[in-house]
Amino acid sequence: MTGLITSLIAQSGEWQAPTIDWHAIAPELVLIVGINLVLFIDLWIDESRKWAMATLTGIVLLAAFVPTVTLAVTGDDVRSMFDERYVIDNYALVLKALFLLVGYVVVLMSQTQLEEGGYYQGEFYVLMLASVLGMVMMTSSRDLVSMFVALELLSVPAYMLAAWRKRDGRSNEAGVKYYLLGVFASGVMLYGMSLIFGTTGSTKLVDIARSLGEGDLIAIQVLGVTFVIIGFAFKISAVPFHTWAPDTYEGAPTPVTAFLSVASKAAGFVAISSLVFIAFPAADEVYQPLLWVLSALTMTIGNLIALRQTNMVRMLAYSSVSQGGFILMPLAVAGSGDAAEPALKAVVVYLLIYAFTNLGAFAVVIAAARKTPSGSISSFGGLFVYAPGLTVLMTIFLASLAGVPPLGGWFAKFGAFRAVLEADTNAGYALAVVGAVNTVIATAYYMKVMRVMWMADVPDGDITPVVTPAPVQAALAITAAGTLALGVLPSLVVRFGDIADLSGALGR
Amino acid sequence: MMVPVLLAASEVNVALNVAFGVLAVVMIGAALFVVTTKNVVHAALWLVIVLSGMAAQYLLAAAEFVAVSQVLVYVGAVMVLFLFGIMLTRAQIGAEGNLNNPGWALGIPVALLLLGVMGWAIIDLFGDQTIEEAPGGASTQAISDQILSPYLAPFLAITFVLLAAAIGAIVLARKD
Repeated sequence: MTGLITSLIAQSGEWQAPTIDWHAIAPELVLIVGINLVLFIDLWIDESRKWAMATLTGIVLLAAFVPTVTLAVTGDDVRSMFDERYVIDNYALVLKALFLLVGYVVVLMSQTQLEEGGYYQGEFYVLMLASVLGMVMMTSSRDLVSMFVALELLSVPAYMLAAWRKRDGRSNEAGVKYYLLGVFASGVMLYGMSLIFGTTGSTKLVDIARSLGEGDLIAIQVLGVTFVIIGFAFKISAVPFHTWAPDTYEGAPTPVTAFLSVASKAAGFVAISSLVFIAFPAADEVYQPLLWVLSALTMTIGNLIALRQTNMVRMLAYSSVSQGGFILMPLAVAGSGDAAEPALKAVVVYLLIYAFTNLGAFAVVIAAARKTPSGSISSFGGLFVYAPGLTVLMTIFLASLAGVPPLGGWFAKFGAFRAVLEADTNAGYALAVVGAVNTVIATAYYMKVMRVMWMADVPDGDITPVVTPAPVQAALAITAAGTLALGVLPSLVVRFGDIADLSGALGR
Repeated sequence: MMVPVLLAASEVNVALNVAFGVLAVVMIGAALFVVTTKNVVHAALWLVIVLSGMAAQYLLAAAEFVAVSQVLVYVGAVMVLFLFGIMLTRAQIGAEGNLNNPGWALGIPVALLLLGVMGWAIIDLFGDQTIEEAPGGASTQAISDQILSPYLAPFLAITFVLLAAAIGAIVLARKD
């Protein structure tokens, strides 16, 4: 027996301990410690003090935010680990910071609702932190296996968060639909990844790029690239893979909906842009037409259905589907001409601005929820009479989503259009026209909500002012400040998302 | 990978190819029974045969670690879970009326299209190439070296997927 063990140890000489840059993975480590802290403290804490869990979760997210700043300040060298499969560059840092901040705002939005609903608070925050951990890992993943696992880590908790109001049939439906379609998408994506691995011999994105670049693509690589992109298209609810989104968004608790429509979607876009810019530059003849069609369909169909919605959250759900089409727009031309550089910048900037704006819109819906239990758009009638502050904020957020200057949204849209025009191809110009038409359609339904809020009468005639809980006020303040500041001073974000920040992009 | 191995029967290990063919026929037959049987328990048991056949295929490809994991996870854990699930949630364990989705016929052209495209792509890639026998496949030790060094980040992340799944499942399933 001892001889067997000795001989086994003697054989295992090849293994070498990976070198770990502790500073570079500090955000992940803080989250990991935080998940365990929240989990264990929640076990021992008295029911009357459960509010402390939200505070603790907020502190964990902010503590994880600190190393992203220190890493950004200590120079712009690329730190890579695990055989360059896990890379911390400026692209990753900006998006890590975004996900941590979004997580913090969602905690602020969740606190009151969870306390009033009597949901499982400690477990809710553990799952949310786990999902944020997955997103943070996604930004650094430069390997198909890491990307897939990060995607599962961010999705699995989200499936269950969507079903969190477990006594409500619609919430159960939301969770089950999201779960089934998400798992199906994962299956399609994994199959694509296995085809890519089988034909290129590597799971590392840079090696895949090198291998795909040698000669023409073969049929099975075309299928692999297509399947992987379709898998992520489910995640970002691109038409025709969007069917889960409206039901899930409507049934899930509103803070979870905000989390899904911003953070989960952004994580999908991060994965697609890492793939498009690092792994698939040689496959631009495959991904460009595919993303072009997805983008045009997503914008148009999302908008046309949003026009007909009478429920506020459903309207915001379809609006976020169509916003996804705008973010896909620059990616659809990422391989043509000089468009790669503005395309990556457009995607990153759009994600940053969209996060503030969309979270803000959901924060207003949460703040007004007590007065608008049915959730229909008409129940927001006369909001200005009893909640002028909320009305002004909602107008700002909706105008930003529509792309009205000087709010953040216009600069996001400007970047997307600039990228497709820079491509200087017929497909690019055609997509710009589709995008322009859709901007006008979108304005129509955002305006409809504004008109109801400002002009219509209060449906039940009750004009006692609504009291906005302090955490939601803080969420509103952060999102409104972000939306306004990024619109007036776009130079704050314009330095993010340089192609040079993404190490390995386009074979560099 | 499997198709060219079969096509190259005359040049490489014949026993391997015969075994592949037999297993493939059994798996396809069992898979057809999974979807056609009217009894849910029978479908689960037919699935055991499909999944065990897959494990045997992995063994033929000299991937013993994957084969053992396939048996432990799918044939062991997942199937037991299936049967438990059926027994705990259904009053009647017998033949049932119509289990099919009304739109099931639509699936046939889609499945045939996928089969055609995939089959064509694979034959286009390999043609009548022979694949050399692997020098020993991926040994368990090589896999563990990979997991604990270059793939450490996803390995760590997987533990949190499982933790989150367990916590969420308990919260959603418990009575309150």
